[in-house]
Amino acid sequence: MTNRCMALAASLVAIVVAPLAAQDPDRPPSVAGCASENLAFHRCALEKARTFNPPRTPTGKPNLQGFWRSLLTQSFSVEGVTADEPMVRNPVMPWVVAPPEIVEPAARKIPYQPWAVAIGRKGVNFEKYIDPRTTCSTAGIPRLALQDPNQILQPSTDDYVLWLHEDHHVQRVIAMDGRSAPGQAIKTWNGLSRGRWEGNTLVIETTNLNGYIWLDDSGNFYTDAASIVERLTLIDPDTMHYAVTITDPKAYTAPFTLAWALVRVKDPTFELFEEACREGEASLETIKQQGYKYYFGESWRGR
Amino acid sequence: MRTQLAASVAALAFVTIAAHAAIAQTFAPPRTREGTPNLQGIWQVMNAAAWDVQDHGARLGAPAGQGIVVGNEIPYQPQALEKKRDNFANRLTKDPESKGYLPGVPRLMYMPFPFQIFQTPGYVSMVFEYNRGIRIIYTNGTPHPRGPLTWWLGDSRGRWEGDTLVVDVTYFTGETWLDRAGNFHSDQLHLVERFTLAGPDHMNYEVTLEDPQVFTRPWTMRMVLYRRKEPDVRVLDYDAGLLMDEEQARRERANAN
Repeated sequence: MTNRCMALAASLVAIVVAPLAAQDPDRPPSVAGCASENLAFHRCALEKARTFNPPRTPTGKPNLQGFWRSLLTQSFSVEGVTADEPMVRNPVMPWVVAPPEIVEPAARKIPYQPWAVAIGRKGVNFEKYIDPRTTCSTAGIPRLALQDPNQILQPSTDDYVLWLHEDHHVQRVIAMDGRSAPGQAIKTWNGLSRGRWEGNTLVIETTNLNGYIWLDDSGNFYTDAASIVERLTLIDPDTMHYAVTITDPKAYTAPFTLAWALVRVKDPTFELFEEACREGEASLETIKQQGYKYYFGESWRGR
Repeated sequence: MRTQLAASVAALAFVTIAAHAAIAQTFAPPRTREGTPNLQGIWQVMNAAAWDVQDHGARLGAPAGQGIVVGNEIPYQPQALEKKRDNFANRLTKDPESKGYLPGVPRLMYMPFPFQIFQTPGYVSMVFEYNRGIRIIYTNGTPHPRGPLTWWLGDSRGRWEGDTLVVDVTYFTGETWLDRAGNFHSDQLHLVERFTLAGPDHMNYEVTLEDPQVFTRPWTMRMVLYRRKEPDVRVLDYDAGLLMDEEQARRERANAN
């Protein structure tokens, strides 16, 4: 083998391997003056939120309206993807090396109860079930905020905040009128949300979840006992700090928190499109033929 | 006797129509901060149009209903009428509703499920309990985007004519129906909808359908939307397709055991 051949081979390897094992190309070194590693961003954003005076709606509320996209995210695993993860070299759908989205607790892992570890974290769910997002249900909270563009609307009546997601045409109606949670027998895919303003932060509390969704592509999950608190805070005119705390006494030993950035889509002509999934999802039959089953929380139900 | 009955029916109809018109004319709608009539709230029809938009007697599983089609006749072209009859005969399997798809507009408006209207500058947004439908009606003066587009709920651009929200809807798929009785349209469907508050808790909803591939002329449906008044009522979740999948998974699991 000549040197030239060696060089060619080496460069081919570089071309093939480098993109697969690379850092996320969409991850900038900094966001709104904060380092982009999720924990560093989270700490920095909390600090910035103390002093940033956000634009206001006509009724004086922080104005979060507009189109948003997530940044500093991937949906492969909320616990992060390391270079030794085999899926990073998957030829069909390579995962991207990325830090955990979990910022608390310090271990940055989901504090699963022992029984649940084998189900989440590329366990039973990943091995046997179809990602519920693929069945045209919903990415679920909080993965919704990791996916396609979304729009926040604040009617001047201040009684609701509406959060629309292009991903599988998901709507989140956030009641801002101080009502209490509906009866817990009412279960829904994206839960029922109630919100309030804490200073400049929109705090959204969500209950009535059916536990049919995954947190990420690894099959990490919560059950129908989960409740979720999301905190949305502008840290500059075009960047929002998004932090979400998930509690689930059935599956976790403690709550944990994930954080990332939502950045404004500034194209003045931007509009949400209709993403009718079920009406046109072509790959689902192939996946089912491979023996994967519908999820519907089956792996943890009845335990 | 017959004449007398006809006369009293006519008189009753006149009184009803007159009262209706009077309400619509004299009611001063509440307004948003931006000054447009405030249509916000949770709304729902109380009619049997989801089963059949035309006059119909009761069928098993379907309540009888007085139709919402103005004049009751749908001006189908001859071939389209045949297709409608075939649709009706095979409605249990052919109705796209049975696949759990988004039901299209206007069908989504009179499904027996609530929907909620939100108003913000430039947008009137509607979110539906049935299949998580979202309609974003742009009231910011933008035209329909350049097509061709095929959307299950179409593209909606609205404007205010006095106190009426007028919405132009286009870019439909031809795969949706108008009801469970096989009434249908093609992808050439074009709608003009009119939303007018008739009182604090009633809204007149009128939709004109134009489809040169299916109908001989434009025609109109008219109905009343009622405000849901229960304390803390909210739009919940009825996703037909997911419920079908869940039932199927349950059956497969039962068979496997």
